[in-house]
Parts: sequence; C-alpha cells; structure tokens
Amino acid sequence: MKIIHKAVGSTLYVGLCGELDESTSFTTRAALDKLIEDLDKTKLVLDMSALKFMDSTGIGVLLGRYKKLKARGVTMLIASPTPTVDKLLSLSGIYEIMPKIV
Amino acid sequence: MDNFMNLNIFAKSQNEAFARSVVAAFCASLNPTIDEINDIKTAVSEAVTNCIVHAYDHNDEGLISITAKLIGNVVHIAIADEGVGIEDIEKARQPFFTTRSDDEDRSGLGFTVMETFMDTLEVKPNGEKGLVVTMSKAINSDK
Repeated sequence: MKIIHKAVGSTLYVGLCGELDESTSFTTRAALDKLIEDLDKTKLVLDMSALKFMDSTGIGVLLGRYKKLKARGVTMLIASPTPTVDKLLSLSGIYEIMPKIV
Repeated sequence: MDNFMNLNIFAKSQNEAFARSVVAAFCASLNPTIDEINDIKTAVSEAVTNCIVHAYDHNDEGLISITAKLIGNVVHIAIADEGVGIEDIEKARQPFFTTRSDDEDRSGLGFTVMETFMDTLEVKPNGEKGLVVTMSKAINSDK
C-alpha cells in the first residue's frame, strides 16, 4: 500500500494506492494516524481512485480514522472509489458518515 | 463436476491476496465479468481473514484449506479451518457482530459481505474443530 498526500487550502487530500486487506491494514492505519496526528486542516479527503481492492477490514480502518478525525472536528470525505470498492462502501453504510464526492 | 482445485495455505495475512487471486484465476474459464470476479475475490478475502483473525487468532501456523469446484456455470467454494470455531454461528452472521469490539479495525461485516457478494452462503462446524464456509455463485447467469 502506498499512501500519498497533499494539502490544498484547508483540505488534506490523501491517496490510497494498492490493496487494503488484513495484510496491509496495520501499516495503512499507522500511516493515516501519523497524518491525522500532524493535521492542521478542517477537512480530509480520502482519494480511493487507485485503491484496487478492499475488504471489510478496510471498513474497520476507515471507521477508526473517522472517530479520530471527528474528535478533532475534522470532516472526512471519500473521493472516487473504484466500482468494486464503492459496492463494499455502499453496503457498509459508511457514506452516511463520510460522504462520497466525485 | 467440470473442474476442481484445492489450495492449502498457512494462516498468514500475506497469503490473502494470493488466495483470492488463485480462486479468481480458477473461475476464469467461465468467462466472468469484472464485477463477478471482484465479488468472488472479496468473499474469499473475507473468509480467509476470518480464519486468520478469529479461528487462529493470528497464529500463522494454522492451516486454511480452500476448495473450489466448477459445476456448469456455478462456482462452489469451501474455505475450512481447524481453529476455535464459533459458538453461536447465527449470532456471528448478524451484520456488525464482532467478538473483537476492542479492536477498531473490525467492522463485523465479513459474513454480510460474503452473503451479499455471493449467491449462497453456509457456515458450519468443520467436524469437531474449526469452521467450514461454503459459498457459491452463478457466473454469467444474466447473459
């Protein structure tokens, strides 16, 4: 899993590139937590356009990060998931708390 | 039966991608759509994760057996472990149920995803030890 990020104005854009499952969840969680720790923005957009695969372990990772961001008053959004990841995210109901943007 | 495969792997998380890719490749002769193949990969990944996290509690010397059969246009997949099993299978199949509520990386959606992405799902004890998850999916059924 490769994680890239770029700050634009009050938003931090974070791109997930690769596959998010049990084998990559620990490093993904650690990398995102480091970004959240240093965050001085009001919005975090998770770009999933290069995330080729995710299972429900990924849902758990997202929920954990959402809780941390919410506690700091930061809005979390999901951008451009691939159709297969989008299907899983829709099933989980996660868009209710972190809306999808195109 | 038109075709058969069996894969035995250690319960190591790095084997997840390998396992789902092998099953996906095995189904290729049925000419599945990308959506169908992704559904199968996701369901296999969920079942293997359950073995690693729940059945063996990250003891990576546990064995996972993955069997797949092609019968007509239907793929039948069985994923078995010899781990701790599940006391109340019906309860475990409920959405958002997890025994790992202390672990924030657990969504409790594994069985729900398998059930939604496949046509059938059966969860049974594996003899006296462990669990067998059996699932099937018709390929190209709407063509």
